[in-house]
Amino acid sequence: MTEELRKSYHDELESIREMIVRMAGLVGEKIPQGTEAFLAGDLAQAQRIIEDDDVIDAMSVELEERCYQVLALQQPMASDLRAITTALWMNAEIERSGDLMANIAQATRRVYGSSFTPVIRGLIAQMGDEASRLFRLAIDSYAEGNSGLAVALDDIDDRLDELHLDAIAAIFESNREQVFDLQVGVQLALVCRFYERIGDHAVNMGERVRYMVDGWLPEHSGALRAQARASTNPPTST
Amino acid sequence: MDALALVALAGLVTVLGVLFVGLRQRQRVSQRLDRLANRISGAPSLASRSPSRAVGRLEQVLEAHEARQQEDEKQQRYEQVLDALDVGVVLVDAKGEITFANSSATWFQDGRHSEAVVAQKLQDSLDAVLEGSVTEQQVAENLVLFGPPKRTLSLFAKPLFTADSISGAIAVIRDVTELEQTNTVRRDFVTNISHELRTPIGAVSLLAETLIDEQDLEVQDSLAKRLIVEAERLTNTVNDLLELSEIEHSNTSEYQPLSLHKVVASAHDRVRAAASQMGVVIEITAGDKDYLVCGDRRQLTSAVFNLFDNAVKFSDGGMISVSLRDEHGRATLAIADTGIGIPRRDLDRIFERFYRVERGRGRDRGGTGLGLAMVSHIVSNHQGHLKVNSIEGEGSTFTIELPLVSPQAI
Repeated sequence: MTEELRKSYHDELESIREMIVRMAGLVGEKIPQGTEAFLAGDLAQAQRIIEDDDVIDAMSVELEERCYQVLALQQPMASDLRAITTALWMNAEIERSGDLMANIAQATRRVYGSSFTPVIRGLIAQMGDEASRLFRLAIDSYAEGNSGLAVALDDIDDRLDELHLDAIAAIFESNREQVFDLQVGVQLALVCRFYERIGDHAVNMGERVRYMVDGWLPEHSGALRAQARASTNPPTST
Repeated sequence: MDALALVALAGLVTVLGVLFVGLRQRQRVSQRLDRLANRISGAPSLASRSPSRAVGRLEQVLEAHEARQQEDEKQQRYEQVLDALDVGVVLVDAKGEITFANSSATWFQDGRHSEAVVAQKLQDSLDAVLEGSVTEQQVAENLVLFGPPKRTLSLFAKPLFTADSISGAIAVIRDVTELEQTNTVRRDFVTNISHELRTPIGAVSLLAETLIDEQDLEVQDSLAKRLIVEAERLTNTVNDLLELSEIEHSNTSEYQPLSLHKVVASAHDRVRAAASQMGVVIEITAGDKDYLVCGDRRQLTSAVFNLFDNAVKFSDGGMISVSLRDEHGRATLAIADTGIGIPRRDLDRIFERFYRVERGRGRDRGGTGLGLAMVSHIVSNHQGHLKVNSIEGEGSTFTIELPLVSPQAI
C-alpha cells in the first residue's frame, strides 16, 4: 500500500469514527427532547423528532455503505478490522435507539390529552434522564476507546432496569385505580420499555467498544464454557 | 639600478597585495550580507558581486520581512480580538474548508453530544450559503439543544465576497439561553399578572351584578359568600404584591442577630393548624445548637412559613421533614416534603412572580403565585442561597443557606 493510499485509508477510518460520534450526538439529543415532548404533550416537538429520524436513517445508510467500501477495497486487518466491524455494530445500535425515540414521539400523539399521576410522570422523567446518561456514556467510551467505562455500562444500566420495574408497578397501580384508560396504560408501559431498550442498546455499544479495544466479547465466555462442557461430556452416539 | 627595480617591484607587489586583500574583503562582506539576507528571507538567491548590491538586497529583504511581521502581528491581533469574544466565529474558504475558528467556536467542532448537533447545523448552514441555496444568501436561526443542560444558540451565516465571486463564508454562533429566558419571563409575567388581577376583579363584578338582580334569598346568600371569597383572593394578591415590593426595598442596615430556631418555631406555629387539618406530619430535627443569623425576623419567618405552607398544600397527607444544621459555617435549613413534586422543566421558573406549574394548581389551593418569589427575594436580601430539588411524584426539598453570625461578634 503506497503512503498516499494508506493516508486516505486512515483518513476514511477516522472520518467513519467521526460520523458515528456525530450521528450518536443527533440521537442523544432526541432522548431529552422526546421526554420533554412526551411529558408536556408537545405534538409539534414530537413531529420534529419523527421527521429527524429520517435524517438519522439516511446517515446510517451512508455510514454502512462507507464501512462496506472500506472492507471491500482496503481489506483491513487486526485492530482496523475490529474498528470497522465495531462501527457497523455501533451504527445499528445508534440507529435503533433513534427509532425508539421516534416511537416515543408517536406515543406522545397516542396519549395526547391524557393526564398521568405525578409518580408516573416523575418515573418517566427519571427513565429519560437515565437513558440519556447511559447513551452518552456509551458514546464517550467509543470516542475515547475507554474499555473500562464500556464494561461498567452493564452495571450502570441496573438503575434504569429498576426504574422500569417501578414504572410498570405504578402503571398497574394507576390502572387499578382507573386513573386512565387501559390503552393509555399500554402506551405508557411501551414508552417505559422503549427507554429500557435504549439502555440495553447502550450496554451493547459498550460490549462492542470493549471488543474494539481488547478484542473480547461477553459471548466469548459462553463459547468457552460450551467448549469445556463438550470436552468433558462428549456427545454419545445412539 | 637593480636596487631601484627591486624597490619598484616590492612596491607593485605591496599594491597588488593590498588590492587583492581589499577584493577578498569585499567578497567576504558581500557573501556575509547575502547569507544574512537569505536567513531573513528564508530563500537562497544569486550571490551579489558587490557589497553595495548586497546591502541593497538586504534592505529589500528587511523591508519585506518587516511588512510580513506587521501583517502577522495584525493577524494575531485580530485573532486575539476574535478569541476574546464570547461568540463563536468560524471562517471557511470557497470549498467549505475551515480556515479559522476562534476559541469560543472550537468546542463546536468534533463534539460528541449536543455539540455534534451544532457542528452538523453549522456545516449545513455554511454549505447552504456557499451554494447560494438560501434566500438573501444568509442563514439566521435559533437552535435549541436539549443537553442537558438545555440551551438555545443563535446561528448566523453569510457568504464572503471578492470582486465577483464568493471567496468563503462566515458563521457566528452565540449562546442566547439567558436572553431567551429573560424574554420568556417578561412575556409570561405580563400575561400572568393580567390574569391574576383580572380574574378576581371580573368575578367580583359579575357576582355583584347578579346579586343586584337576584330575588331568592338563598341564592343571594351564596352569591355574597362567593363575592367575599373573590374579594379575599384579590386582597391576598394585593397584600402579597405590597409585601414583595417592601421586601425588595427593605433596609438591610436594620438587620439584627436572631435565632433561626425561633424563626422555624414561629413559622411552624403558624402552619400547625393547616398541617393538622390536611393530615400532614411535620418533623423538625434541629439539635441543641442555636443558629444565629443576622436578619429581619418578620421577613425570615415569612420565608420559612411560605415554604412550610407550600409543603403542606402539596403533600396531601404526607410528611414534612425539617432539618437545621451547620454546613461550612452556614446555617442550612432544609424543608423536604413527600408531595406531588415539581416537573423538571418548571424548576428553574418557580421563583418567578405569578409563575404557576399548571394553571390552577396553586390557585385551587389558595396561593397567589407570589410566595416563592418572596422567599427568593428574602433569602437574597440576607446574602443567602435558595435551592430546590424535586422529583415529580416523590416530593420536593427546598434548602435555605444563610451566613452564620458568631455570638462573640454581637
